[in-house]
Amino acid sequence: MTITDTERDLEHDGTTHVAVVADRCAGCQECVIRCPVGALSMDPATWTAVADDAVCVGCRQCVRTCPFSAISVQGPVRVTERLDPALHHPAVLEGNVDETRVGFASWEDARREAERCLTCLDPTCVRGCPAHNDIPGFIGALRDGDLTRAHEVLARTTVLPDVCSRVCNQSAQCEGACTWSLAGEAPVSIGRLERFITEHEPVPAPVVGDEATDLSVAVVGSGPAGAAVAWDLVRAGAAVTVFERDETPGGLPLWGMPDFTLPDEVARRPWRQLIEAGVEVRCGVEVGAQELTRLLAEHDAVVMAHGAGVPMRLPVPGADLAGVVDATSFLQGAKHALEPGGDADALRAALGLATVESRRPSVLVLGAGNTAMDVARMARRLGLDATCVDWLDERFALARPDELAEARAEGVTVRFQRTVTALRGEGRVASAELAVTSQKDAAHPPVVSSERETLPVDLVVMAMGYRLDPSFAPALPGTPVRKTVAPIPDRHWVASGILANPASAYAHHSPVGSLALGREVGLWSAALPVTDRLWVVGDALTGPATVVEAMAQGRRAAAAILDARPARPGRDSVGEGARSPRVLVCVESEGGTTRRAAEAIAQRFWRRGVDATVAALDEVGLPELAAADLLVVGSWVEGLVVTKVRPARATRAWLAALPRLGGRPVALFCTYGVNPRGALDEMRAALEAKGAVVIDQAAFGPRERRRDDDPAGPDAFGARLVAHALRQTAVRTVSR
Amino acid sequence: MVVEVREEVPSGRGAHLVDPVAVAIRTRPPARAGERERFASTDPSPGLDVARHPRVARLLHNRKLQFMLILPNQIIFWLVIGIGLLGTLVPGLNFATAITWYVWFCLVFVMMVVVGRAWCSMCPFGGFGEWVQRHTFWRRTPSSVGVGLKVPEVVGQYGFLLSVGTFLLLTWIEEFFNIAGPGNPASTSFMVLGIVGSALVFFMLFERRSFCRYVCPLTALIGTVGSMGSVAGFRTRDREVCFNCATKDCMRGSEDGYGCPWYTWPGSADSNLTCGLCTECYKSCPSDNIGLFVQKPLTSVVAPTRRRADVAWAVALLWGLVLYQQINALPFFGRMDNWLNVHTHFPQYPNPIDYLGVIALVAAVMAGIAWVVARVFVDRDYVVPAGGRSFVDRTSVFRTYFVPLMYGIIPVVGADYFARQLPKFFQHAPRVIPAVGHLFGVGSTTSTLYRTSIIGSNSGIIGVQVGVMVAGTLAAMWTSWRVAGRDLVVPSGQRRAVQWAALAIALVLGVIAAVLYVAMNAAD
Repeated sequence: MTITDTERDLEHDGTTHVAVVADRCAGCQECVIRCPVGALSMDPATWTAVADDAVCVGCRQCVRTCPFSAISVQGPVRVTERLDPALHHPAVLEGNVDETRVGFASWEDARREAERCLTCLDPTCVRGCPAHNDIPGFIGALRDGDLTRAHEVLARTTVLPDVCSRVCNQSAQCEGACTWSLAGEAPVSIGRLERFITEHEPVPAPVVGDEATDLSVAVVGSGPAGAAVAWDLVRAGAAVTVFERDETPGGLPLWGMPDFTLPDEVARRPWRQLIEAGVEVRCGVEVGAQELTRLLAEHDAVVMAHGAGVPMRLPVPGADLAGVVDATSFLQGAKHALEPGGDADALRAALGLATVESRRPSVLVLGAGNTAMDVARMARRLGLDATCVDWLDERFALARPDELAEARAEGVTVRFQRTVTALRGEGRVASAELAVTSQKDAAHPPVVSSERETLPVDLVVMAMGYRLDPSFAPALPGTPVRKTVAPIPDRHWVASGILANPASAYAHHSPVGSLALGREVGLWSAALPVTDRLWVVGDALTGPATVVEAMAQGRRAAAAILDARPARPGRDSVGEGARSPRVLVCVESEGGTTRRAAEAIAQRFWRRGVDATVAALDEVGLPELAAADLLVVGSWVEGLVVTKVRPARATRAWLAALPRLGGRPVALFCTYGVNPRGALDEMRAALEAKGAVVIDQAAFGPRERRRDDDPAGPDAFGARLVAHALRQTAVRTVSR
Repeated sequence: MVVEVREEVPSGRGAHLVDPVAVAIRTRPPARAGERERFASTDPSPGLDVARHPRVARLLHNRKLQFMLILPNQIIFWLVIGIGLLGTLVPGLNFATAITWYVWFCLVFVMMVVVGRAWCSMCPFGGFGEWVQRHTFWRRTPSSVGVGLKVPEVVGQYGFLLSVGTFLLLTWIEEFFNIAGPGNPASTSFMVLGIVGSALVFFMLFERRSFCRYVCPLTALIGTVGSMGSVAGFRTRDREVCFNCATKDCMRGSEDGYGCPWYTWPGSADSNLTCGLCTECYKSCPSDNIGLFVQKPLTSVVAPTRRRADVAWAVALLWGLVLYQQINALPFFGRMDNWLNVHTHFPQYPNPIDYLGVIALVAAVMAGIAWVVARVFVDRDYVVPAGGRSFVDRTSVFRTYFVPLMYGIIPVVGADYFARQLPKFFQHAPRVIPAVGHLFGVGSTTSTLYRTSIIGSNSGIIGVQVGVMVAGTLAAMWTSWRVAGRDLVVPSGQRRAVQWAALAIALVLGVIAAVLYVAMNAAD
């Protein structure tokens, strides 16, 4: 074994060398416990890490995870070349919707690529995946040739492995967060390996398990979020009714994604299996905001997974001319036209392009995101010339890099740093006025210059994306949630090293770590109802996002519903047993007084065998809130009695940042020295604004805290809350 | 490869709401081999955790604590800068020189001998840089100002030696300009300003307290001499909790506190050598598993099982410096320095050749003594254990003896530095009062206090200096005896003999220093 030294000549000699600064290494072993290849160990004499250069593969996970920057790695990474099958380019593009991206051709190729996986012990790819698929787990199963096990691993976190492996932007998700990628190398082809599994063994259908429940849940929308909700609920024995506006369930993946990206049979697979499993799908039914009350009366829970389907339109002069359409109508029309038996000529005529005979009609696509690429590539398959314009700099393009390359390979012209300022024509659009833009960095919007050019066009498709239907806003308070990363990020994520590299080269300037951590907000928000018994998931919750995020949120909401076991008024809830309520006492304490009061309250729950946790406010995040049946919030108060007494600053900030609590019962208390004045009322107002139901409140001054048995003290308050919690449980389980 | 699935799901959570990330984490269990041998002798008793007391705990949790410690010193040293530049030219009456050289330097030594890095917790130089770096006085801010570079490996691997270098440089500058004489008060201002400025530059360039850990002129001195102190620093209450901690907030920081600015992990701290007592780990620990421990004096000298070569060389070089500061007060030294200056065309005292020569010679003599002891006592069959090959942890027969022997003489070095400051303190400390009064027009060189001494007679001062040296020598004899008894018995095989040899070295060094104090006749 080569014991690494720090004084060796560090010239690059083709080998990888790990240097541990012995003075700064504190022996915390954060590197040792994570090193994928076991190249690091502890020297018991010095209690510092030592590395074996012969074993090290140069992935630099130790560098990213060391809290004290005590490790450096020099030299190349030791990994075989990534295997990327060539794209399938149709010889004749027009009318051809064959899938362009292909999977691994053979087991040998798949195994070879799977061998590149380091099976990281704290896998950053798992955090990078919005669904948190156990990627090393399923790749390990694939390596073993055990596709059944691979499906079992995938099924823990995803119901759409075949869809996601085709449509996910892996470079900004799992593959962008792959250890190799963070080290500057080509990542493991995770998407293709997942696809290989689904191509060689079908995704197992949902099976109703032992955990029978009499829950009745309505799901509005049949996109990926709705499919995931229905999948998990039907597996748990719930009666699931899905309401879909279109005539076929499937949502955006079905109508919005062309066959050359996502074949129809793959997009339809989940719903075929769900219907066979007993999910009732009511197609052609549009649920508006006004119908929610009725649905809530008829079902124990309602999940809104209706997406963000309102196309964005560019408000420029001429936007109302004939020949200006949105991406939804174009894609739906094109998809039908290119299906077997479809009529492309009829669509061209419907779009007003039949009269253009002397040349190939040209389509201007506004935007250069993934939807715009789909539109442009469909246009090429309809025999049209397609030009995409986007005001962003190409460095910050929203489209998948491979999608962009494929579109260009198919003859699509993509012009970045251009925006449309006007559309002109006599009744029908004939030309577009473009302005040149410039963009300094991703954080700043582009600046529009005075430079103009005119582009002749026959059709304009606005494909800048989608937005939420504003009519739902009053009924779904708190949506869309913002996927922000806390200034001091979760240390579990920091410890994994995913946040150490703001953007790997493979991820094309996407800061995969912070993007992934931001997605956690959406995930855990999906577990919290926005109002009593009403959950929102997918694009409807966060605004337009990805298929995999929507699916993951759907699963999280389904888990929350199964956990909460809501019951509609008048229904006796049987089968949920006598589950003890979970109580979370969260407290902001400066000197320990408020903490002691919180513990006295919790004591009352503990004595009755109720699961109660006392936690500081800054330890309480979305997962903790999602798991709590009763929330008790306590704070000390600050301010001068003669002016204003308020809850502590940290409490106010925490309350302001709370998500929607969806009718969750909350109790409040504060501790004070002289007079709490309006502190409790301020806390109550903040919580009620978040949809919480405040069931009780108390203020504990020196007198109330002096004696344990004070009738107005924490102990007595705790007793009241225990009674309430147990009463609620009884109500839920027996007589509701 | 042993792989363990670590379930990080909190208990009590509903089974449906399990975070799948935690399930996919299969981190290796931390290595525990040698843990007991490594930490058994240094782990403080739980009863010595002062943070168990609610009032202390409350104080330590308060983010304003360090600010309140730094603020008075910050005010004083900005006054020093201002008054040194603008105040009277009479050194004894200028607040800048009076407070700095008659009181502060002596108090720093008292603090380091009694507490450890107490000064570091209230230091205005690093404190100022840290305020700017964190862009706050006390709050926990998520971002920092500056480049945030990591300390280069080439610096980090030599531990405290860069600090010894900056201390030697600063001392030479101080001697050259007669700053601590004290000479022109403006020189004191420029010196303080230089330290503040260089600290600020380093804080802007490097992350955390890299300046304090590696560059500060005092950090090696405070670290080594401070290991005599009775504050063990912030340590883990239960190492098991630290090993199983999945977040290491004490190192990375949390909403409540910063990650340790000193690159010290309470989970493995075995001495107070690099604990800056900043309380950040205490504040950020999510498990309330960190305590502030006191210890018996000299524990951090005797107890650590990991002996660092940079500390040993720092002790040898610092011993050389303090001996230089004694020898240079002897009449012959002035003549020698003049002779050297004439022949090397150097303008004035101190000539760098004799300055560095004496220090290097003393350090070399210490190394030579250790080499001789090693040659005399080492067992022929002794096999040097494998160590790291970094400078700090490399092993050899010479290092096997040199490093523990240098640890053993830390008390005599510390005592010597302290005794060296006493003449100024005893003779002139009361001048601080008229110096303060002078700012308000009431103090002058004719004030009674200006001419008052705490101990006026040379014999009295020499008596105290010799007394300090006797105490330091006795302490060093005890630590040398203990250190040799534990670290040198195995390689020597002659327990008592090697212990007596170590004890004799400490005694001889103490006697040399004491004799020099007598010869110096209380010169300051």
